[in-house]
Amino acid sequence: MNTALPETAGKVHEPLMRSQAEANGAWGRILLWLSSLILAVIVVWQILYKASVIAVGFDTWRPVLYTFILWAIAIGAAQVLIRGERGKHALFILPAVAFTVAMVIFPTFFGLYIAFTDWNLSSLTGRHFNGLDNVRSLLGDAYFWNALRNMIYYVLFVLAQYVIAFGLALLLNAEIKARKFFRVAFLLPFMLSPVAVSWMIGKSLMEYRFGPAATLARHLGWDNPAFFTSPWIARLSIVAMDAWVWIPFIMILLLAGLQAMPKEVTEAAKVDGASPWQSFWQITFPLMLPVSVTAIVLKIIFQLKLADIVINVTAGGPGGATDTVSSFIFREYRDRSNVGYGTMLAEFYLVIIIIFVTLLLKFASRFMQRTT
Amino acid sequence: MKVQQHEMLMALKASRRTVLKGAAALSALAATGGLTALSPQAAAQSELRTQLLKIPGVGKGSPTDADWQKVGEMCLGATKASVKEGEFKGVELTFMGLNNQNLHNLLFRGFLKPWEAYTGAKISWIDLAQADYNARLQQSIATSTVDFDIIEMGAPFEGDVCGKGLTSEMPDWVKKQIEFDDIVNYLKPPVGTWNGKQYRVTIDGDAHNFNYRTDYFADKDLAKAWKDEGHQGEWEVPKTWQKVQEVTKFLKGKKFKGQDAYGYLDPAKGWGGFGFYFLGSRASAYAKHPDDKAWLFDIDTMKPRVNNPAWVRAIQDVVDALPSEPADQINADPGTTGFQQFLAGTGSMLAWWGDIGSNAKTSDSSVIGDVCGFSILPGSDDVYNSKTGKWDKLPSGPNYAPNCAYLGWGVYVMARVDSDPVKQKAAWSAAAHLGGKDLSLWTAAYPSGFQPYRNSHFIIPEWVAAGYDEAFITSYLKSESDSYNHPNAAIEPRIPGIFQYYSVAEDELAKIYAGGSSAQAGADAIAAAWEKITDKIGRDSQIKLYKASLGLVA
Repeated sequence: MNTALPETAGKVHEPLMRSQAEANGAWGRILLWLSSLILAVIVVWQILYKASVIAVGFDTWRPVLYTFILWAIAIGAAQVLIRGERGKHALFILPAVAFTVAMVIFPTFFGLYIAFTDWNLSSLTGRHFNGLDNVRSLLGDAYFWNALRNMIYYVLFVLAQYVIAFGLALLLNAEIKARKFFRVAFLLPFMLSPVAVSWMIGKSLMEYRFGPAATLARHLGWDNPAFFTSPWIARLSIVAMDAWVWIPFIMILLLAGLQAMPKEVTEAAKVDGASPWQSFWQITFPLMLPVSVTAIVLKIIFQLKLADIVINVTAGGPGGATDTVSSFIFREYRDRSNVGYGTMLAEFYLVIIIIFVTLLLKFASRFMQRTT
Repeated sequence: MKVQQHEMLMALKASRRTVLKGAAALSALAATGGLTALSPQAAAQSELRTQLLKIPGVGKGSPTDADWQKVGEMCLGATKASVKEGEFKGVELTFMGLNNQNLHNLLFRGFLKPWEAYTGAKISWIDLAQADYNARLQQSIATSTVDFDIIEMGAPFEGDVCGKGLTSEMPDWVKKQIEFDDIVNYLKPPVGTWNGKQYRVTIDGDAHNFNYRTDYFADKDLAKAWKDEGHQGEWEVPKTWQKVQEVTKFLKGKKFKGQDAYGYLDPAKGWGGFGFYFLGSRASAYAKHPDDKAWLFDIDTMKPRVNNPAWVRAIQDVVDALPSEPADQINADPGTTGFQQFLAGTGSMLAWWGDIGSNAKTSDSSVIGDVCGFSILPGSDDVYNSKTGKWDKLPSGPNYAPNCAYLGWGVYVMARVDSDPVKQKAAWSAAAHLGGKDLSLWTAAYPSGFQPYRNSHFIIPEWVAAGYDEAFITSYLKSESDSYNHPNAAIEPRIPGIFQYYSVAEDELAKIYAGGSSAQAGADAIAAAWEKITDKIGRDSQIKLYKASLGLVA
């Protein structure tokens, strides 16, 4: 039996399908515009209510959030109605976009607005736009610039961490006994919370009176082993604790790189009579450059956010010698409830980080092009 | 015998013999005229208090959770009189308070466990570190997310919380239950009130007193060295800050009992704003003139006084003393200074809240229980007069100005419970239980984070019966009482954002102590930052509230 449709069937239904699609598209556009309109009206309404321009509104912003969620759903449905199959594809990405808008883009821009206000949690009159006052305060804030200068020191110490981590990675990549045990053992500090490290090492092991590290230092001839009282010793102590946590991270990245490296090249070098140092410096190191750059850049990004150890151990002292920008922002928020200025500091620092990391990546890529 | 008294005695597991023994003792006392007016109720209460102070007993190690629960159980009498068993079944309360080494919430849990079992209510806890307290509270207020029904809070925050209508007004029955009149005068209204309404169940009295090592100042070798080095006067406990400085510098490099000898200990590291109180204690004798109620700001303008010659002298004193203090002093916050240094045997002089006294003999980590003495804060030979801009020498001698820092902790009930009468009663009942007269005696006597705050806490025989050495406890209680009742006490301003002022000062002080700036330049920077804070919060309202906090008409 011939079940094939007559040749004309498709042609007969095509206009019908097109009109159906057009109808769907129309409904989709209505849904898109209507939901957007409702969202806009509710947002504007709530803003006006909160600004005391109108008397009726919601006590909290929660209904606006619910409207945003409904709007996101409506947008998804509208995409399907308007664009059919291609609209369905868009559904895979739309929730992520909505989530990013709600959780990243909106807070960043809202943060910018907050940064230009004088919002102090203790003020009975709430927040007010204060123009560039916070920027002016920031430019003249010796504590901020001091913390930023400290960040330069901390970032420079990343290179030392990298060198140590590379050494450890080479060791763990070599044929040594109990290699697996050491790999896990060396990773342990990285698994610990920096807060725990602050207490276990900074506040216990390095404690001036009873800390074992202080006792050992006394035995070695240091009369007053105070690890956090003079600026450079305090800075180095913080760096040492930070290194203890983070070196395993750099090491594991480098170790992965070393293991992925073709062994034939180093073996060929050996056959050609290259010394271990030549083999490392002429072959291993250049081949590891991409991994090294990645590890260093990642660590620098983490380093720029250094705060927990400093807050717990020295609170930025002595006299700001160990202060970091993050720990200073933390104090502005936590101790002084200075939300407006604290947000300006955070936004400004974000801009600095973005510029710095962009330049760093550019520099790294040029450096790699030149060396390869 | 009333039912309530009977229950109390049964709770104490009092046998007929002990009841008779107590009665006999009371009769004997009455016969000698010692307690002629002691009613049966008072006798039962006296017995209860005696038993309470034996938990676990002075010199028998730190109290444990079992002890705290026992204390809570024994003090349930007042709750049972106002609440039926199981009356709050199904009620859930959230309690926010401190959870630091001074105990606070840890104790409350134990004290309130029997209360929960009796009333049927359930309490969940929000525990905060001291340094996080201000931030968490301010955040809750500003974002309208008060997620707790009861809060342990200090009077300095009353402007931030009560001033914004977030607290529930204390019902009269609570006032009666906690025997409000027993509270020492300086903690009575205006403290605990806002716009004339009472909000706070006081559970603590705060003033910095002066803690010193009696063995240092009784040591003959040190006395001889003092004379040999040509110092004026006897080798004795310093009565003025000038002498404190002299003794601190004198002790540098000396040994005492085989260890390095140290004089005064300055907590040079910040403590979320709380560290500023310690500079305040050094400054109060210089800056608080008997003719002037204010010492932190000018009353009419809120112009900071922190950079006047008195405060700058206090800052300079710290800078001058630090080289004679332990090597890591610059990284020692008040907690370290009090608990890891002084109680552990380092240093000979310290200004702190009364915790040192209540821990010295009852904490496992203390080694100075038998060699610790107390007095009000040292005075000064001269005092700065902000009105004339000159240093005055008082005809009465040195100027003393105890620093009534923080005005003690209190328990406050949040207004969010007011819409539910059962929940409201439950919250206030819990607060009243913690602020009960008898329970408070225990918290004053043992490590708790709370100091004496009631007139009834100063009955020395009760403490001696508990095992305290009479000379020790007399010295301790006298230092507290004399601080509270001093006519020239420096009173904490209950103004919004006070910890912002303190916190920003801590940063600048850290810089000064580390040699980053001079005392005057640093103090000027603090003053400038304080002016900015005042402008941000609102100068006019701050002036009004500052005046009110000093008991002056706005």
